[in-house]
Amino acid sequence: MSTPVLEISDLHMRIEEKQILKGLTLTIKGGEIHAVMGPNGTGKTSLAQCLMGHPRYQITGGSVRLDGEDMLTMKPDERARHGLFLAMQYPSEISGVTTANFLRAAINARREDGTSISLKAFRDQLDEVMGFLDMDPKFANRYLNEGFSGGEKKRNEILQMLMLKPRIAILDEIDSGLDIDAIKVVSKGVNSLKGPDFGSLIITHYQRILDYVHPDFVHIMVDGTIVKSGGPELALELDKKGYEWVRTELAQSTHQA
Amino acid sequence: MSEMILDQASEADLKSLVEERFGHEPQWSLARRQSAAEAVLNLDWPRLERTPLKKRKLDQLHLFKAPPTPSRTAAAAPEGWAEIWLDNNQVVAVSMPEALSLQGVRLESLTAALDDPDVEKHLGRLLGQDADKIAALSGALWQGGVFLRVPARIREVVRVSIRSHATAEAGALFAKNLIICGAESHVTVTQRLATDEGVSKTLLSENTEIIVEDGGRVDFGAIQQCAPTVEGFIHRAGALGHDAVLNWSIGEFGAGLVVSDHVSHLDQPGAQTSSTTVFFGAGTQHQDYSAKSYHHAPHTTSNMVARGVMKNKARSVFTGLTQIEAGAKGSDGRQKEQTLMLSDDARADAIPSLIIDERDVYAAHAASAGPVDRAAVFYLTSRGLSEPEAERIIVHGFLAPVIDAIALPELRDEVWDAVERKIRA
Repeated sequence: MSTPVLEISDLHMRIEEKQILKGLTLTIKGGEIHAVMGPNGTGKTSLAQCLMGHPRYQITGGSVRLDGEDMLTMKPDERARHGLFLAMQYPSEISGVTTANFLRAAINARREDGTSISLKAFRDQLDEVMGFLDMDPKFANRYLNEGFSGGEKKRNEILQMLMLKPRIAILDEIDSGLDIDAIKVVSKGVNSLKGPDFGSLIITHYQRILDYVHPDFVHIMVDGTIVKSGGPELALELDKKGYEWVRTELAQSTHQA
Repeated sequence: MSEMILDQASEADLKSLVEERFGHEPQWSLARRQSAAEAVLNLDWPRLERTPLKKRKLDQLHLFKAPPTPSRTAAAAPEGWAEIWLDNNQVVAVSMPEALSLQGVRLESLTAALDDPDVEKHLGRLLGQDADKIAALSGALWQGGVFLRVPARIREVVRVSIRSHATAEAGALFAKNLIICGAESHVTVTQRLATDEGVSKTLLSENTEIIVEDGGRVDFGAIQQCAPTVEGFIHRAGALGHDAVLNWSIGEFGAGLVVSDHVSHLDQPGAQTSSTTVFFGAGTQHQDYSAKSYHHAPHTTSNMVARGVMKNKARSVFTGLTQIEAGAKGSDGRQKEQTLMLSDDARADAIPSLIIDERDVYAAHAASAGPVDRAAVFYLTSRGLSEPEAERIIVHGFLAPVIDAIALPELRDEVWDAVERKIRA
């Protein structure tokens, strides 16, 4: 499969009357890991959900293309079948369907030829990935996220990502609320997919996860747009100077520009 | 007189119809019918706060038409089961394992059992004929129905299946059923109510009374899948002796209008009842359910659970009542009602209530009605599942805890099938 390219171009989006994204441009290619950092309330989660097609957001301008195909006209399930994945900040608890049955249904839904994965092939793959993520095998037979701790839910998101093998994964604050050991496991999962067929957008408030998943590009987002982009060193600078620096200096300079 | 419409009938018409059709019955039964016939014109249609009946034009029913004669033949009953088939309330076939008839189990047409003193004693005891116009019509004109009596201390579980079917052109059907479970016996009853698909507008009145004697246990399950042209008034009530148990499992899926209730009278200490109702409304269905538990004696327990799903423009009301009388010390009454709405046009009300006149008791209720969690739909679709599939999974998860708890396995599977059909419809 060819190297994926997700192109977000001059994206404008609002919820009801509130403008959230104000002309955001970002291109993510296979083999690249991008980190988007920014203070709370700046539109990071909205960006993630909007890319996946959450119906509450209204696009008012710009485009999102995956391998040249317009994503904005697609429903979330179509986007998923095109290879987009979103690890959510607050995954829903779904009663009545086990993690294993859900994953099998999701894998089958993405198969283009309409065939189903055999139970054995699925189970082997699931066992292997759960082992890799240090997950207790009994999670597979529990209802999806129901009664899971915050850390268990995040690990479950990574499990789903490894099973579904997306081409572009957006990880929305996958690190928030996790202890160091859990961050290491989550990072191991992301790093295992790294390669020309996989690109990733890591949305985070904290610098910590970037010690384990090394980004190729770091972007700072303020007030619905990217105000500064750079290499990994930008995250370190941000860590040192704090978000106040972003708000005052960077936001101002862009407004003047 | 064979084609008269209800609103053109006089009291004399009704009484002569009763005489013509039921004149051969024992005196006590005929007298009851005549007194019900006298009451019909003086009583109102049922008054339901959230279910107006006025526009339904119930008084336009062709009441005097004799129900069509049965045409079906029965299939073989499951191994070990007693089974009774009814068409338009008339018994088509009864199959009874020899082992059960040798022990004195009776399963037959209720009209054929009027000579039995138990029928005279219990029939109409829990569901009277003076509550409203339908109750009076049923009292005057009921026919067929089922009489099941299980003697005391039968050593194995007695399994009974009732298959009740209304054919096209039935018009109005009034059924009564009486179930008596003797002391320390255990009966499971599975009742299936269905109609032909193309049935014309039909008033279906179904009254079932259940007597559970000391130490007895009845597991009563029912699934209703009538055509949308049916307007059903389905009443069920049970009376429980010392340490008796009555478990209700009710699956309601069909009929354009259904008014359905089930009531447990915990008459003696140690009696226990549980009730599970699963309902699913679609199209323009209107469903009005209530469940009631009356604690008349100490140390009685009740647990009522209802879960429903409403889609399209369907409308449901679920009213739960748990009443603990003064003196019913150490009683425990609980209820929980939850409804899930799949569309903006669907509407569901859950109305729980507790009436407690005794201090030394435990009582609790909970109710909720809400739309499908859109965040959950987004989550599932973001993994590649289509929106209908995501909703199906959510409905499954919502109903699973109650359906999977149904004690009658064959009924459980049929309820799941009915849910599946309604989701995809």
